[in-house]
Parts: sequence; structure tokens; C-alpha cells
Amino acid sequence: MELISFRIHNYRSIIDTGWCELSSDNITGIIGQNESGKTSILEALYSFYTGTISEDIMRSDLSNPKVSCTFEIQPEIFEEVLKRKNLPEGILNFVRTSHSFTLTRLWDDNMENVLYLDGVEISGFYSRYEQNLRDVEAEMQKRIDEYLAKRDQIVDDAENAEKKLREEAKNLESANNLLSEAKKEFKLLKKTPNGKYAEEKLEEANKLFEETRRVCEIADQEFDIKRRKADEALYHARIVDESVKATKHFNYLQNKLEESFMALHEIQKVFDKTTKEKEKRSLQNEMEHLNKEYLKVSMEYKEAKKNAVIKKHIAYKFISGKSLALAEKEVMKEKPEVEKFFTKEEAGEILFDLIPEFIFFEDFSSLLPNRIDLEDIMRVDLQKEGLRAARNYLLISGLTPDFFTETSSRILKQKIEKLNKEVTLDFHDFWRQNIGKANKISINFELEHYDDSDPEKVGHPYLEFWIKDRFDRLYPKQRSRGVRWFLSFYLELKASSLSKDERGRVLLIDEPGLSLHARAQEDVLKVFEHIKDKMQIIYSTHSAHLIDIRKLHRLLAVQRAIENDESSETKVYNARSLAFASADTLTPVYTLIGSSLNEQQFIHKNNNVIIEDIATYYYLTVIRTLIGFNKEIYFLPASKISNISTMVNILLGWGLDFIVLTGNSSEGIKTHEALKNTLYLNDDKASQEHLVHLENFYTIEDLFSTLDFKKYILHKRIGIPESNSEYLEENNILRPVLASGFMDYVEENDLKFESFDEETRENFEHLFQMLDRGLR
Amino acid sequence: MATKKSRKPTLSEKSREDELFQSLQYASLIQAALLPPSKQIFRILPSHFLIYLPKDIVSGDFYWIFKKQEWIYFAAADCTGHGVPGALMSILGITFLNEILSSKSFLLPNRILNMLREKIMKALHQTDDHDHSKDGMDISLCAFNPQTRVLHFSGANNPLYYFRNHALHIIKGDRMPIGISGNEEKSFINHEIQMRENDILYIFSDGYADQFGGPHGKKLKVNRFRDLLIKYHSKPLNEQKEALLNELIDWMKNHEQVDDILVMGFKV
Repeated sequence: MELISFRIHNYRSIIDTGWCELSSDNITGIIGQNESGKTSILEALYSFYTGTISEDIMRSDLSNPKVSCTFEIQPEIFEEVLKRKNLPEGILNFVRTSHSFTLTRLWDDNMENVLYLDGVEISGFYSRYEQNLRDVEAEMQKRIDEYLAKRDQIVDDAENAEKKLREEAKNLESANNLLSEAKKEFKLLKKTPNGKYAEEKLEEANKLFEETRRVCEIADQEFDIKRRKADEALYHARIVDESVKATKHFNYLQNKLEESFMALHEIQKVFDKTTKEKEKRSLQNEMEHLNKEYLKVSMEYKEAKKNAVIKKHIAYKFISGKSLALAEKEVMKEKPEVEKFFTKEEAGEILFDLIPEFIFFEDFSSLLPNRIDLEDIMRVDLQKEGLRAARNYLLISGLTPDFFTETSSRILKQKIEKLNKEVTLDFHDFWRQNIGKANKISINFELEHYDDSDPEKVGHPYLEFWIKDRFDRLYPKQRSRGVRWFLSFYLELKASSLSKDERGRVLLIDEPGLSLHARAQEDVLKVFEHIKDKMQIIYSTHSAHLIDIRKLHRLLAVQRAIENDESSETKVYNARSLAFASADTLTPVYTLIGSSLNEQQFIHKNNNVIIEDIATYYYLTVIRTLIGFNKEIYFLPASKISNISTMVNILLGWGLDFIVLTGNSSEGIKTHEALKNTLYLNDDKASQEHLVHLENFYTIEDLFSTLDFKKYILHKRIGIPESNSEYLEENNILRPVLASGFMDYVEENDLKFESFDEETRENFEHLFQMLDRGLR
Repeated sequence: MATKKSRKPTLSEKSREDELFQSLQYASLIQAALLPPSKQIFRILPSHFLIYLPKDIVSGDFYWIFKKQEWIYFAAADCTGHGVPGALMSILGITFLNEILSSKSFLLPNRILNMLREKIMKALHQTDDHDHSKDGMDISLCAFNPQTRVLHFSGANNPLYYFRNHALHIIKGDRMPIGISGNEEKSFINHEIQMRENDILYIFSDGYADQFGGPHGKKLKVNRFRDLLIKYHSKPLNEQKEALLNELIDWMKNHEQVDDILVMGFKV
């Protein structure tokens, strides 16, 4: 899997780099002046990998740093690793067509980070999915709220009915008392003149009692009905209540988790600032305790989240009319979305395990030190100079901490001597293979102990490194920077190759050319060329010697938005937009072209052929040699067709002779017609020697037969019924990259002109015949 | 007890079979419409004969003819498989050949085959880096100029036979198909032949030679097919066709036809 492109937001001077594509031939150079932000790009990429940043990374506007990387992936692998759960609709299809995915790491104000699956399309799919989830969630909540409101109403009704029943019961009691009194009164008065009156009163009381009793009975019946209803509602609502309770618990744990995290974060800050050992130890204990607490709450939180979602789904199904058993069964079978679908973060974490390992090679930590304390190595103290190089050395030697516990100094010495020899031999092999020369130096490390001269450390072990040749035994820092750099770089490569990890590697190298002399810098480039099939290399430089003029497509130019203003933001230009970069930024490129002019005598009095672009230059340079074209001919690539006229004017101005070669694209035709008109007044005969137009071919690639194009340039067996140029355009393939690859292929495979088929040979022979007519 | 094989089809199965049969009949009409009509062939190549015997309702073999300026292009092709898959491939082949010839001026047959292969590979997504179909076709393709009598030939696994003064000459095609194969694609080779009056040439698919029959139920084989051509080549073209058909019927006797059969003969 390879890193294809990256984008960095809010990282030191960078606000937004835009998407920066890496060179497809695995070597990408970042050029720019000092303080332009080259190192920030490398550091940001490394931060993406490690997840760590420091406070000085944060911009003063407090916007959060974010680094996105896009990786190439085979869709089958993507599907395989993420098969455990679903992904929102559209994502798999997107990966099947794009063969890529993007991961983003975003840091918050506390410098904590989150990694997630990202990308414009993928975010779109997730947004739709999340919106859908929110809609479903809102609908469920609405139904649950309605249900609870209805239950409350039923319970209220029952309570009111009970109240009414109680009142009516009181009324009945009063009516009963009244009736009893009326009965007594009637008994006493029935034989008196007031007997009639008492009878009427009794009748009245009787009537009232009967009426009250009826009302009471009705109230009783009503209460009975409503009470049953309320009982039923309360019984059913317990399912919903459980859901509400689970949600409350989840919310509580969410707050608790945040509090726990903040407490841990605060103490970490105090710990980082503390220098006193005693305080550190005490804080460490506290931290461990808080960490345990955090982990515990975190587990509870996850469980509570899951429980809340499940309970809510069950409640929803239940209030939608399903029995509890069926609702539970269905939810367990369907699994709510939270379990069924990967979140962006979950998917991101899984995919992260597939991406290449990012290795940062920078001078302070990666260059071999003179000496380093053993305990600093074991403790991985990042503040110690040369730590990474020393660790690499120990890894290559196969040394574990147990090794240094050997008590017999004689055995220890013997072992160390043996290891030194092995590493030296291997380094010689590396040097010969990559640099192509012999190197007689040997590398040694020794285990020593501090003596009285350093009372604080007396008796403590340290490692001392030496680089020896036939004459001297010197500390690494006393050696030339070139030797020290290459040696350390060898240690880095060797150590990373020992990793059992099957993933690829992205090697980030900050200023490999810094203070190396020109030859050594060119050697660095040679090493890159040798290792580029095994790992991707991204390096920063401002040296012309670390740029290959044939491979300018590898460059990213970095500069400040306002030149020389170190507070302004960093801008990045890719190879296609180098023209927008400032002259200072492009100094190494200009130096290179300038030196080429001097050394190779780029432009001549006669026989200059202005061609459309650098890709055409690569192809024609190669074919010219293969075809054995002996006449003097100098190809001058315009950076694009529209620049041909300018070049023509310059050569005209200098009084130099030239031929212009154009293809049959609309721009090529336009340029050809314009030159024929302006220079030769449309006279075909006069112009034909100087204006060579390829009538049947859009670009130079079309001169190759499809078979040769596939075999020697594309290196793919695939059906290409369209023209080669159309294929390149449709598939968005960078022509210069392919063309420079073709140059390398011809050289490495000793290709002959006869290797091409008849069609290709005819086309190029014809082209050189046409050019020949205009040569002197 | 009746076995599954001997079971009579149910009504619904029968109606499905009928439907399928009707579809295939219709497909055969479409395929026939794509093949050049006999009137057109006679107008372009008056002295010719054609034996075209599909094994099924539709065929994986096809013939093709195209006139462009002074050149007559004609081909006999044999697509992978027979029946529906072969027929679909033949439609691709005819369409692509027409497309290639319509878009460019004069093209040598080998260039046409190169281009045809690219189109087939793209259409069938044939690449070297994942699983793909190995489908394709074998073909003999000629370009003939009646005025100069120059003939260009290129073949993908299939040859060109011609008789001159009763002597048989064989021009072998390249040993690679139109489509992806185990070996990397190379350019097809073009053969230029100066034809003479009364030369007779034949292009064909392997169906005739692969037909089982005879006294031992074996393949007719290429040698026997060659012998038949040697035996009949001097007869008038319509008699040659009749004789070759009679020989085939005699050979087959009770054997079923195993593949589509295509033979084209042409007299200069």
C-alpha cells in the first residue's frame, strides 16, 4: 500500500496545503527556502503517523491541526478488513472505483487526537448515513415522548377518578347519615301531625341516598376502569422507563468520562512541567490511579452506550405494537446501527493498521552520537541527541538489555567485537551497492562506565561510538558529515528492514543534503534511487544536487504566501504549478538548469528543435540514441505548447536557427498554423523544413504502436483501443513520470531500436527524416 | 422407476423452453442481419463460395467483408465457444472490425488484428493483473486489391490456403488469438502475396476439420480437409461447395455436428 497524497491544515505556518500528490515513482522532493515550511510538512506527516504533536505546532489562532493522507488500496483488502460490520452505502463502491481511501487525524485543544476515515465522498456518505440515523433516532424519541405523555395522562385520569370516587364515597356517607336521621325522625313523628312532613323528609333522604349511591357506583366503576388502564400503562411503560433510565445513565457516564479525562490531562501537564524526581514519582502514582479510573469509566461508558441504544430500540418496537419478547428478539437479531455499522473512527483505526510505517530521519536524533547513556536508550529519552541512531545500532546488532548484564568483561568485549565486525561488513556492502565505491571505514561501539570525573553519574554505563579507518579512530562527530550521515542513514534503513511488519514504509528525511558536499549529495540521490522500490521517500532540500533534472515531476515547492514574511502562511505548489512559485523558491531548479546549460551546451547556433514539453524531450532523447541518429540535434523542451511561441521569439532574437515540432492536438495545430502564418506567410514550401507537424499524432506517445506503448512504457497488459495519448488523458497519467520511467527502462534493459515493432520504427524513422530536412 | 432424465417436461417448463427457443430464433435473425448479405458478397467478390453451418441456432463463427476504396477486406473468424456466448463474441468482432475500417484509411490486416485485439481486451476487461476471461477469437483476415491482385494476409491462429497451378500453398497465421493469452501480446505479422489469375484461396474456421465421424468416429482432421481441397479445388466454385458439403455429410453420418463450420473459397 502506498501513500498517494496528503493535505495539512493548521500546522505551524501551514493553514491549508491543499491536496499534494506524491510522485508516483516513490521519490518526492520538497524544495523551498529556509523557514518556508518544508520541515513542517515532514513533521506533520510524521505526526499523522504517531498521533503526537507539541504545543509549538498549534497556530496562534488556535485552529486545530489536521493531517489527511490518501492511500492506495486494493478494494478486496479494504472489504476484507472491514467485513465485520457494515459501512454506509456508497463507500465500498467508491473504493472499488478509486482504489484509495483517506485517513485524517485531527487534534483538539488539548492536543488529543482522533483518527477517522475521511475524504470528500466518504464524508458525504457518512453524513447521509448519520442524518438518517439522527432522523430515525428523533422519530424514536418523539414516539417515546408521546408514549410517556400519554401514560402520564392515563395515570392522571386514574388519580382524578380515585379522587372523585373518594368524594362520592363521602357524599354517600353523608347521604346515609341523613337517611338514618330521617328514619329515626319518621319513627318518632309518624303518629304525630308532623308525620306527613317526616315521611316526606324520609322519602327525600331516601331519594338522595339512592341517587348518591348510584353516582358513587358510577365513580367506582370509572375508577376501576381507569385504574386498570393506568396499571396497564404503567406496566407497559416500564419498558420505556428502562430505556429512559439507560439513556440517563449513559449521559451520566459521558460526563464522568469527560471529567476523568480532563483530570488525567491536567495531571499529565503538571507532570511534564515538574523536574523534581520526588514530585514526579508522586504524580506518577496519581496518574496511574487516574488512568485506571479513566479506563474503568471508559469501559462502563461503552457498555452504557450500547445498552441505551438497545433499550431504546426495544422500547420503540414495543410501543409500536410488538410484544416484548418479539421486540427483544428482533433487536438482538437486527443489532442496532451502533453495532452493525463502523463509525468513521472505528474504520479509521482498522485501516490505520494497513498503512505504511512512517519513519522520520532528522539530524538531531537520527545521526550517530559520540556517546549516549545506556539508561537514556532504554528509557527512550527523546531529548537525547542520537537516540534513534543508537537504538537502530542496537537493533541491528540484535542486542537486548540482557546483553549488558553480562558480568564477565572478557566475554562482553568479545561479543561486542564480533557485533562490530558484522555491522561494519554489512555497511560496506550497503556502501558498495548504493554508492558504487569501496569504503574502508569500520564502525565500533564500546560499553564504558562513568568514572570520578563525573560524580553524578559515576558507575553508570554508557555507549561510545567510533568510526575507524586505516589511520584514525575518531568519534562520529569528528568524521566528515557525509560519512556520519550515510552511516546513520544505513542504520535507519537496516533497522527498518528488520521490522517484521509487512507494511510498506514512508521515509521522511529532513534536509539530507545539509552541509554535505556536492558529490555526497548526489550519492544521497543514488541511494534514494536504489531503495525507491522498497519504500517511499519524501525529503526536503534546497540543494540543486538533490534534484534530478530529468525528474522535476518529483518536486513540491514550498514558500511563504508573502515572501520573506515568516509569519505568513505556507503555500505548496506541485510539479505542474511550479511556474507559480517564486524565483527564490525555485533557486535549486534554476541552478540546475543553469549548470546544465553550461555543462551540456543546451542551446546552439544551429539544429535546435523546439518541442512541446519535457515528456517529448525524454522520448526523443532516448529514441535518437536508439535509432543511431548521428547528426547534431538539440531538443529544447517548452514547458507547454503555449510557450513555444515565446521560445521561438527568444531564439529569433538571439539569431539562432531552429525547428519547431508540434503534435496534432488543437493547441499544436494552432501553434503550427500561427508560426506558419507569422514566420512564413503561410508558404508551405518555405515552412516545411522548420515547422514539422505530426499530422496523425496528438502527442509523441502516439508514435509508439499500442503494443510497444504497453510493453515498454506502461508495463501493463490491457486493451487500449484508443490512441495512446487519449489513454493517458483519460486515465490521468502524468506523462513526464512515464517518460522518465521509459528512459530508465531503456537503460536498464539495454533496449534496441529493433526491439520495437514495425509500426513504431516506421513512425520514428519518418519523424527523424522530417527533422533531418531542417538540420544543417 | 422413471429417472429424472426421462421425465417429461411440465407445462411451465415447456413454455419456458418455447420462450427460450423463440428468443434464440430472434437472436439468430439479429446475427444474420449483421453478417454481410449474399447479394453484397457477390457484388464485391463475384467468384466465391461460402459454407456456413452454425451448430446451434446462433453461431460463434462469422464471416465479414468490407470494401474500402480499391481494397476488399474479408475474414473468416471462429469465436471462443459456440451458441449464445460465441454469437455475442461474433457480434463484438463484426462491430469492432467495421469500426476499425470506418475510422482509418488503408490499414494492413496485421494492424487491423492488433487493433481488434485491443478492442476485445478492453471490452472484456482482460488484463494481466486480475482474473479475466480468456475469451477471444481466431481469425483469417485478407485485404485484396483486384486491380493489382496484391493480397495481404494476417491470421490469428488461423491460416490462408491458396492453390496456384494446382499446387497448395499454406500461409500460417500467428500462434496467438484475438484476446488475452498466456503470452505477452506481439504484433501480428503481415504477409503480402502477389496473386495471379485463377489462383484460388480458402479461409475457414476449425469446425470442418474438427468434425467427428468416419468409420471410427474420429475427427476429420486438417490433413483430410486439405486432401479434400486438393481433390476438388479445380472444380467450379459451386461444385466445390457441393462436394465439400457432401463429403462432410458422408463423414458425419449419425454423428452430431460438434462445432460451427465456416469455409470461404475465392477465385482471383
